[in-house]
Amino acid sequence: MTTRYRRMQWMTALGVTMTLALGACGGGSGESAAGGPIVIGISLPLTGDFSEPGKGVQRGYEAWAKITNENGGLLGRQVELKILDDQSNADRVVADYEQLIGQEQVDLVVGPFSTRLVVPAARVAEEYGMLFVEPAGAAKEVFEQGFKNLFYAAPAVANDHYNHLADYLLALPEDQKPKTAAYAAMDDPFAQGTAYGLKEKLEAAGIRTLVNEVYPPNTTDFGSIAAKIAASKADLVVGGSQYQDGVNLIVALQQLQYQPKLAAFSTAPTNPEFAAAIGNKTEGILSPTGYAQDAPYPSNQEFVQKYTAQFGAAPEEDEANAYTTGQVVAAAVTAVGCAEQGECQQKLVEWVRNNTVETVVGPLSWDETGKPKGAHMIQQWLGGEIKIVLPADAKEADLVYPKPAW
Amino acid sequence: MPSGALLFQSVILGLLLGGLYALLAAGLTLYFGIMRVVMIAHSAFLILAAYLAWWSHSRLGVDPLLSMIVTVPLFFGFGVLLQRMLLARLRPVTLTMMSVLLTFAIALTIEGLLGYVFTGTQRRIQLGYGSASFGLFGARIAVVKLIAFGLAAVALLTLYLLMKKTTFGWALRATIQHRDAARLVGIETERIAGYGFGIGLATAAVGGTALALDTTIYPSLHWHWIGPLMAIIVVGGLGSVPGAAMAAMVLGLTQSLLQIPLGTTWAQTIFYLALFATLAFRPQGFFGGRLAQRF
Amino acid sequence: MPSASERTMAAAATPGATPAARVSAPRPVGRIVQVALVLVLAAGVLSFPALAPNPYILSAGIVVLNYAVLSTSWNFVGGFTGYISLGHGALAGLGAYGTALLVTRAGLPSFVALVVAALLVAALAVPIGFAALRVRGASFVIVSIALVLILLLVFQSWSSLTGGSRGLVVPRPFPGLLRPEHHRVFYFLFAALLGLALLAWWLIDRSRFGLGLKAIREDEDKAEALGTPTFAYKLVVFVVSAGFTGLAGGLYALWFGDLDPVFQFSILTGSYMVLMALLGGVRNLFGPLVGALVVGIALEYFKVEFGDTQLHLVATGVLLALVVLFMPDGVLPAVGGLLNRLFRPAQSSIREVTAGELRDQRAAEAQEREPVDAGTTAGSGEVRP
Repeated sequence: MTTRYRRMQWMTALGVTMTLALGACGGGSGESAAGGPIVIGISLPLTGDFSEPGKGVQRGYEAWAKITNENGGLLGRQVELKILDDQSNADRVVADYEQLIGQEQVDLVVGPFSTRLVVPAARVAEEYGMLFVEPAGAAKEVFEQGFKNLFYAAPAVANDHYNHLADYLLALPEDQKPKTAAYAAMDDPFAQGTAYGLKEKLEAAGIRTLVNEVYPPNTTDFGSIAAKIAASKADLVVGGSQYQDGVNLIVALQQLQYQPKLAAFSTAPTNPEFAAAIGNKTEGILSPTGYAQDAPYPSNQEFVQKYTAQFGAAPEEDEANAYTTGQVVAAAVTAVGCAEQGECQQKLVEWVRNNTVETVVGPLSWDETGKPKGAHMIQQWLGGEIKIVLPADAKEADLVYPKPAW
Repeated sequence: MPSGALLFQSVILGLLLGGLYALLAAGLTLYFGIMRVVMIAHSAFLILAAYLAWWSHSRLGVDPLLSMIVTVPLFFGFGVLLQRMLLARLRPVTLTMMSVLLTFAIALTIEGLLGYVFTGTQRRIQLGYGSASFGLFGARIAVVKLIAFGLAAVALLTLYLLMKKTTFGWALRATIQHRDAARLVGIETERIAGYGFGIGLATAAVGGTALALDTTIYPSLHWHWIGPLMAIIVVGGLGSVPGAAMAAMVLGLTQSLLQIPLGTTWAQTIFYLALFATLAFRPQGFFGGRLAQRF
Repeated sequence: MPSASERTMAAAATPGATPAARVSAPRPVGRIVQVALVLVLAAGVLSFPALAPNPYILSAGIVVLNYAVLSTSWNFVGGFTGYISLGHGALAGLGAYGTALLVTRAGLPSFVALVVAALLVAALAVPIGFAALRVRGASFVIVSIALVLILLLVFQSWSSLTGGSRGLVVPRPFPGLLRPEHHRVFYFLFAALLGLALLAWWLIDRSRFGLGLKAIREDEDKAEALGTPTFAYKLVVFVVSAGFTGLAGGLYALWFGDLDPVFQFSILTGSYMVLMALLGGVRNLFGPLVGALVVGIALEYFKVEFGDTQLHLVATGVLLALVVLFMPDGVLPAVGGLLNRLFRPAQSSIREVTAGELRDQRAAEAQEREPVDAGTTAGSGEVRP
């Protein structure tokens, strides 16, 4: 009775909506005239869970574009960034790269932030045959997907971050060598990768694992994890952390007055707010880092100087990795002499695979999976400052082991 | 196997955590008792209060505990308005379902606004006594955790006295037990319901401040809280404040102890297992809660 | 007794039909128009890939279709029984992971895995439904939210099986296809699934089973008293809904290729489903589809407009709140009612009138409309004169 008429009404509405939808979608397509700017498409998590590092990466890219343009651009053309927000969501990141490549017709794409988003994004780029240099997919899984166009623009993947530290510990005289270790890692491919890289090496050398905790990224109460670690009285504590979880874990450990001989945490201790966040009880905490502001590489000085002028603070690791990504792409474009979709991309891929690029984090080269062949430096908090202690040829201070009480 | 010290430490941590759960679940179950409303936004208000505490500490330099002077009355007012302006407008027939959606929408809105104003960065109050602790028979008790527990305990006790010893509490309990009958004996149930909502939200203000003392906060954190809290109120018997408090202590303690053998993630599942088991075998809950059968 | 909302619905819809039509509908003409409109709709949907200017638009179309399938699947429970599940996102996630695991671990062919996974999800829906539906409203919603949260925990923690936070890569069912072709194929697959879901909904709507379900929606106690096996009915329709949701999730997994527990078991997915269905109107076959179009496009718009802030959450929240508060029967029915009222001011809708007018009007309507209401309650207007 009435229902049928209601339906008719409905379907009219539907037809109208569909038409609108089609019309709305029709607009917008990129212009890539030969003399125009080189458009580089990027999707970044500017909102959502990864928004903080995402914004760091954005600043790094912006600094790179600005500095490149001041130096005359690429191939005589200006560089223009097209940045979309993926809301820290894998569905969106894929849609964004589809949009950048298919609709906006960008000339080049570079990577987003976080391993979780890099893999889906890299697949889109791969299937459209685009070169994909990325600043953040550090977990080893990224390189096990069989991608041929992907390159990670940093010195080392997560599992290799602690290589120098492992070498140092295993070279200690037998009576000083730690016997036991406790590990706690966030359930995140990158954070876990750093802790487990070290764990594998230490276990192989006979250092017993007493605690091995994995906590979900949304954990805010570290009391129980800390209790387990403290109760184990392990010689070493290794945290596979991002920023805030590392801070919380350290505070929770300090609340329990646990004093290990060595405490290593990824990412968190290199953050400028770290010392204040844990009440300045930083003494002896170790952290791997892929970037140092006073690293002696030629382009680094320019980067630090101009970045600081642009943003009012010195660049951190996320910013540096994004900048590095830009440098790698720029080197390839300059060497190959083209920057557009199509055959050019394959040439760019070939070039990156077979060459070494000078960057702000040092010379980079890659194996056939796109994995960089390097290791991270190790920094330690000493007397209220964080200093490079490993490797020996880059150190600013000697590693203190066993560490003083925190 | 876990040493005695670790067990004891975990029991202490579990009790401290359970106290906070108890306070928050009390508020959540109170709304249900009054209006048969599942207030999804309860934990979003909790995070909002935590943000206000953090903000007043880091921007104004005020001790986070003092922020309650503002947040508690503010949230009480919010609660009254929320009940009177929004929830009372819903049709009684579909109230339970639609109120879930409405409070869900409020939770999303709060989360979005927090993200907009404070960004998604994780925040933590940096207190001078943040890592201070004292020993108790070999276990360590962090000062901030104890303060948080104390806050929760005081708030719960106040709530208890309010409900048991005052005329208002009598009217509130009457409204919870039988709304129509309460109206017949001359209780202004609408007004009482509004105040009840205000009190529920005021507990979120206290809980949020307690939470902010010792943990990190970020806008989407409320999802992390609403699940366990909902499980607690079902296990405790929907609408029963003492039931919620009991269930909170039991589950908080269980979670803490289960973390020793199972790890953090799996230990959290205890809440949901308890929830499913309760609904399958004893839908009215384990600690009272006559109401729950029908809802 | 018809519920308040049912009466509103009747009031909003009846003016569309002329008094003559109400008594004896010109059935052949109506049917022809109806069939023609369905054909136009189908043609519109099917011609979209040819019209889409680039693969991105096509992929956006797939996302919208996926939303449409999901919200239509949700509407089996929400529309027929009035039980609002915020946890259907979890069922889609289960379908996705089920399909992916059956392909990668058990070596099943992609589409066999898809069907098996959907059946498994349906089977799993039995115990879930058993716990959730034994109790009324509130507990059902709590269980549905808890389902999302517990599955997120399990799939994240059980990384030896699911890959945990490393994610799970689903092999492409057609490895040889280029990406634009891949999109095209899946667009049609999603369209077919949507057609199937709509057909199933339509069949249930016309059946005795559907009548029983709608009786539950209107008044569960009375339905039970009248001999409707309410629990069994609710359970069956929940299982059907779960099966379709699982299919949609699985198909999405095959299309998308990467699964991550955080995104598969997200509370937002479920809330979008509810929003879409409510927006379009839960009592209507095409309601969720319309809602999916609106929400799908609106989400894009919010993102473009408020890109780098969290305001899209606020917008979603406010929209949901507005719908719940003012248009619980759906925005478009409300708009339709408003339009009718504008064109026929005499028969004004019961909305937007003062309380006094409303009271009088209700009293008058109740008397005048008694026979119509009786029919509406029993079968939402499906009863033939």
